Amino acid sequence: MRNSLGAMLAFGLAGLQFVAVLAVVFSSYVTSERALLDHARELLSDIGSNTIEHSRGFLGPARGAAELSARLAQDRVIASDIPELLEQLLFQQLQLAPQFSGVYHGSEDGDFVYVMRSDGPGPFRTKIIRVDGDTRSTELIWRDNEFNVIARRMDPTDTYDPRTRPWYIRARAELATIWTDPYIFFSSQQPGITLASPVMDGPGRIRGIVGVDIEISDISDFLARLRIGATGRALIIHSNGDVIAHPNKDLLKTEDADGTLRFVDIEHFEDPIARAAFAQPIANGVVPVARETLSQFNYGGETYVSVVMPPISETLPWTIAAYALESDFTEVIKQNRRTNIWIAALVAAITGLCGLALANYIYKPVRAFAVRSALISQGELDPSEPLPKTYEELENANRTLMQQIAARRETEIEYGRTFALSSRGMAQIDAKTGRFLRVNDRFSEITGYPAEELEGMVFADLSHPADPPFLLFDRERRDAPREINHEMRCLRRGGETIWIAVNAIQIFNQEGKPLHFVLTMDDITQAKQTEAQIAELSKDLSNLSRDNTMGQVAAGLAHELNQPLTAIAQNADSALFAVDQMTGADPALRETLEEIAEQSMRAGDIIKALRGFIRRDDGNRTDFDLGELVQQTLRLVTAEARAAGASMVCELGDLPPVNANRLQIAQVLVNLLRNAIEAVAENDRGERRVTVRACRQDGQVLVTVEDTGPGVDPKISLFTDFETTKSSGMGLGLSICKSIVQANDGRLWHEGAEPHGACFRFTVNAATA
Amino acid sequence: MTDRTPMVFIVDDDQDIRTSLTRALGQRGFEVAAYASAKAFLAAYDGTRAACLVLDYGMPEMTGLELQALLNRQDNPLAVVFVTGHGGVPESVQAMKAGAVDFLEKPFRQSVLIERIETALELAEAKRAARATRQGIQARFDRLTAREEEIVARMLDNPAEVSSKEIGNFLGISPRTVDHHRARILEKLEVRSLVELVDLVARLKNGGGQAGL
Repeated sequence: MRNSLGAMLAFGLAGLQFVAVLAVVFSSYVTSERALLDHARELLSDIGSNTIEHSRGFLGPARGAAELSARLAQDRVIASDIPELLEQLLFQQLQLAPQFSGVYHGSEDGDFVYVMRSDGPGPFRTKIIRVDGDTRSTELIWRDNEFNVIARRMDPTDTYDPRTRPWYIRARAELATIWTDPYIFFSSQQPGITLASPVMDGPGRIRGIVGVDIEISDISDFLARLRIGATGRALIIHSNGDVIAHPNKDLLKTEDADGTLRFVDIEHFEDPIARAAFAQPIANGVVPVARETLSQFNYGGETYVSVVMPPISETLPWTIAAYALESDFTEVIKQNRRTNIWIAALVAAITGLCGLALANYIYKPVRAFAVRSALISQGELDPSEPLPKTYEELENANRTLMQQIAARRETEIEYGRTFALSSRGMAQIDAKTGRFLRVNDRFSEITGYPAEELEGMVFADLSHPADPPFLLFDRERRDAPREINHEMRCLRRGGETIWIAVNAIQIFNQEGKPLHFVLTMDDITQAKQTEAQIAELSKDLSNLSRDNTMGQVAAGLAHELNQPLTAIAQNADSALFAVDQMTGADPALRETLEEIAEQSMRAGDIIKALRGFIRRDDGNRTDFDLGELVQQTLRLVTAEARAAGASMVCELGDLPPVNANRLQIAQVLVNLLRNAIEAVAENDRGERRVTVRACRQDGQVLVTVEDTGPGVDPKISLFTDFETTKSSGMGLGLSICKSIVQANDGRLWHEGAEPHGACFRFTVNAATA
Repeated sequence: MTDRTPMVFIVDDDQDIRTSLTRALGQRGFEVAAYASAKAFLAAYDGTRAACLVLDYGMPEMTGLELQALLNRQDNPLAVVFVTGHGGVPESVQAMKAGAVDFLEKPFRQSVLIERIETALELAEAKRAARATRQGIQARFDRLTAREEEIVARMLDNPAEVSSKEIGNFLGISPRTVDHHRARILEKLEVRSLVELVDLVARLKNGGGQAGL
């Protein structure tokens, strides 16, 4: 299939561009998406790392402070057993570490010194429990920053015993600094962790335990301060599943039935997104993870990304997790991308339109050219009309096309003229139906049908009704001949029968499909009649020749015999004369001689009687056209002339009608022509030509048959019966001719021709008017 | 001309005929010459000798009849006897009309031929004599000057106006000069009177016979 140039140009200039823009947009879409996700994960990962660092930074100094406090107590203060000194030491430590909410020491006796930050009346409050045997006292002292007492009172309701607290028990058991799991501080009701370190009194003896309370709500505050997209959150989950830090601190705590506060574990956490993200992996043991793990999840129809960090340390088995709405990161880019797509679409549309316009601009001359070619091919436009704006290549093509069209038109006109003016009948016939498509005037003239009538007929309609209809082609036959020559009888429109010679040539197109027949036709009625006349003449001549030959033999014999008879008679008479002169001659001799002479005369009489057989045939004389007869006899000897390689020349003057026996004159002509042809056939060199002339002369017509043969041997006596130069034949030909011509009151004689050859002439009387 | 032997010419294309006839006629004292064709005869004959021509009717090239016609157009002392091998009435009529003595069909007896030859010879001799006379008269006329011929013509044309005066007027010369010419004319033409002169002219035109006979 051939593509339209216009469509190809439109696709090439607009479609391809559109496709290219789409490809760029799609590619950028995909790559930006990936980059975006990477970016989101990186961001979350950073947040996790930051949180870890922050937590470490937050908790690291606490440890140092606690251990320092323990050592100090061990070395100096605690050994003094003076609670005020211990309080002062703990107060200093609390002041140094702002993340500490409280520092305290519990002894094996049950004594307890606890310095903590207070909301009032002073910024610090000290709780001192003294146990002395079964008595115990609890004193609360509020101090300002300068360690001055602001208030002091006793609390008789206090029942606190440090030795029952988990931190004491664990540190005492492990004899090392321990971290407690986070829990909700009893006093402040804030989440926190406790760090406990034993105070040793000599090897293996524990004097007491120093503890430091660290509120970890600061970590939650830190988390709250982190900006993770628009809605992202980070949280810290303890290894037991409790959520220990979250930007919304209120969600961390829950009250048990007995009124104690505890952490909410992840499965019941009020942040549903966090729950959706992390509850399942933690329950399944997937968390804690060994490496930072990024994942994606859906919640509420939105896509989120999450990160889970490995635990901070063995002592702090905390997992930091963060999640964020994917769209928080991708939205801008998505927005941007939408914009890009719109811009790309717009650009594609504009450039596409430009491309179409350009394609149209480029294609317009081609289309104009195509339309013009189509019009010209239908003959609706003059090729000389100027072509609209175009290209050089098209102009060249146009020029060539125009030349071709001009040449074709010329050919058509020439063909049309040849067709119309031909002296032969011509017709164009449909190859399929056999109908006449076109006929010339001559065709109508020959057939008698006007052109309009012929156009509704098929060729077979012209066949003579008595003959089988002549079909130009046979549909059954595949190998139908391309050229047909045929002579046939035809019934003219007027009912007259004529003979026509038909030549039909089938015309095929380039694919070998038959288009039509071109038929030429001649009226050969006249020629057919002439042919018939010549055939009749030939038949008559052969009959005549048979009849005449015997008569001529007789006549020839008679003439020839008369000559010796005359000599005999003369010689006998001469002898008689001599005998008469002699004296004493024997009378018997005289008688014998007399008898010889008499018998000669008798023989002459017999011959005279014989000659009566050759009758003069005046009754068959007619007036006829000698020129026509010459031409007919030439036709009779055509085959012999061709075989002998002789060219026949006929020169006929203006002849009057002649009066003679037509058949006999024809016989003379044929005889002379045959002799001439045989004579030139012996001529190996030079021209072999036989010339027949007929002209008017002295009230007669003189006919000459001249040849370029070797001529007549002068020793041969022509016109003498039984003398011949031919190997076959009786030598009667010329003598018969001569007697025939004479019988018709003409003469026949021979002359030598120049430079060689023979020339026979005879005369025939012109008809009397 | 009796001082000469009678002459017979034979024209025939048949050799045997020529031989037998030459022999027969020579035997009888004729001077004989035989020719095979008309052409050969015409080449040999000088046109002056009185003779009989024995002519074959049917010959190639020029036929006897054609030769006869040709000879008739000339002034010669010949008489023709035709012999023919295939005679017919039309041919003989034509030959006789053209002045042939006879038309003999071959074969023929010698006596018949001799008889015809003798007739022919007489005729030929008469023709020869008339020719000679005519030539004599002509010779006399040939002596006349142009002026004298003019005067003779005038006298013959206008027999009513033959006086010297009338002729002088006509020719624009004096009657005396005419008289002088007339004397010279009578002398040259060997006549004594105008009557004899008229007779002489008539004899010249009539082929040599005696006027008034």
